[in-house]
Amino acid sequence: MSSLARRRATDYTVKAISTAFAALALLLLAWILWTLVIRGLPALGPHVFTRMTLPPGAGGGLLNAIVGSLIQIGIALVVGTPIGLMCGTFLAEQGRNTQVGNAVRFVNDVLLSAPSILIGLFVYQILVMPFGGFSGWAGAVALAIIVIPVVVRTTEDMLNLVPIGLREAAFALGAPQWKVVTFITWRAARAGIVTGILLAVARAAGETAPLLFTSLGNNSWSLDMNSPMASLPIAIYQYAASPFEDWVALAWAGALIITVGVLTLNILSRLVLAKMK
Amino acid sequence: MNFAPETSIDIASAVNRATAPSAESKLKVEKLNFFYGDNHALKNINFEIPEKRVTAMIGPSGCGKSTLLRIFNRMYQLYPGQRAEGKILFDGADLLSKDLDSTVVRSRIGMVFQKPTPFPMSIYDNIAFGVRLHERLSKAQMDERVEWCLRKAAIWEETKDRLHTSALGMSGGQQQRLCIARTIAVRPEVILLDEPTSALDPISTSKIEDLIDELKQEFTIVIVTHNMQQAARCADITSFFYLGELIEVAASNEIFTNPREARTRDYITGRFG
Repeated sequence: MSSLARRRATDYTVKAISTAFAALALLLLAWILWTLVIRGLPALGPHVFTRMTLPPGAGGGLLNAIVGSLIQIGIALVVGTPIGLMCGTFLAEQGRNTQVGNAVRFVNDVLLSAPSILIGLFVYQILVMPFGGFSGWAGAVALAIIVIPVVVRTTEDMLNLVPIGLREAAFALGAPQWKVVTFITWRAARAGIVTGILLAVARAAGETAPLLFTSLGNNSWSLDMNSPMASLPIAIYQYAASPFEDWVALAWAGALIITVGVLTLNILSRLVLAKMK
Repeated sequence: MNFAPETSIDIASAVNRATAPSAESKLKVEKLNFFYGDNHALKNINFEIPEKRVTAMIGPSGCGKSTLLRIFNRMYQLYPGQRAEGKILFDGADLLSKDLDSTVVRSRIGMVFQKPTPFPMSIYDNIAFGVRLHERLSKAQMDERVEWCLRKAAIWEETKDRLHTSALGMSGGQQQRLCIARTIAVRPEVILLDEPTSALDPISTSKIEDLIDELKQEFTIVIVTHNMQQAARCADITSFFYLGELIEVAASNEIFTNPREARTRDYITGRFG
């Protein structure tokens, strides 16, 4: 075979293999979504959003779980985003190639890959045991600890993509460092940082393990952050393993709600960012 | 070739010949040494930059010309491990002394970089950002300042109808003129240009060269360039750097037609560099 023909054959084979695996990955994703829609959609009705979780056969919904999830994720975001943002900014702007920076980066990477059940146990130790019981606060704190390392990592990565020249140009006009960071580098990395925060929301929205030991779950309506609080992942966990058909259907509906919620958030933010540009 | 260090460079007479009536020196470099960690990048530099003239610094890559430029507005201080010794007198005060605040130094000695660096905001805000750092202006005063510096940078006609659109949508040459406008807007006394046209096409380059000619009426200009024709066209004074040393300073027409140093001649005739 001539060398040109061989090169063409190699090129063709490699292209075919990579295309096949890309198709496989997409197929799996489509399969999951398809199953979710097929099982979840029929179970979805107004009652899911208007009724509390009830005993099997009583026609219950998921209202308390949806609201509980929204509250706990919301608080986790409010607590976790500023900490993650500032920490990521420190790593990118001041902590480059410093010992402290490297140590913080290492610890953050460990936290990022820590099994989430460990985070649940940790919060159980520091917030549930000493304060005498499961609570919405404990759940929100556990989710915040999930959010922080994701935001730290993406913020640092995105700020590192901002060219040094842009920072130097701002310094050259006589800007102090805090103005360079807030007006120039954050702004330049805005889209990436927001995407990172959304990634963290998506991650927190689906976590079950950290909530098992912290907010526990609650079958009745409760907005009291000091007592156990319902959440979608816990409700899904509880219902999916049950022998009751209507509970299993509700679990599918809950899974669909989380997925669509995260997807909508993602699309909305992309639209908003595109408009801002 | 003779590489012995030059003992006396007659700067004053060179400056006077180039710039009659004689100009005051705006920046006076005395016994300057500079280090990147252990690397001795500038060696015992003595150099004067005359006021309201264009001074060019030429030399092969790594000769120290950009390093010197970045010392003038203290950019090197952003990086730990970079260190300067000696003195740079700026209107009598030592630029290297810690008593001078970096943000004040940089507002008086502005800089334009090799690659255009528009901020990710509107054309108007690109200019207002720098001005707001140092002055509190009313909306009307700010409008006036923006127009003034865009006119100075010869880009007002192209931008007046799109002041509030993103600066990232401009062409490379326009972006570079915006960066010059942004630097002028802060009303510095000295403008440092670090190879300002090396990323631009010939038409944009000639616009910026015309602009430099215009600006020297009001500002002291120091330009680093790899383009010797550019130095010959724009600069009143040209200095040649080689391996961290200042080899020769003279009026541009003199250095390019009749250099005193063999190394200068070899460089400008293209024998090395």
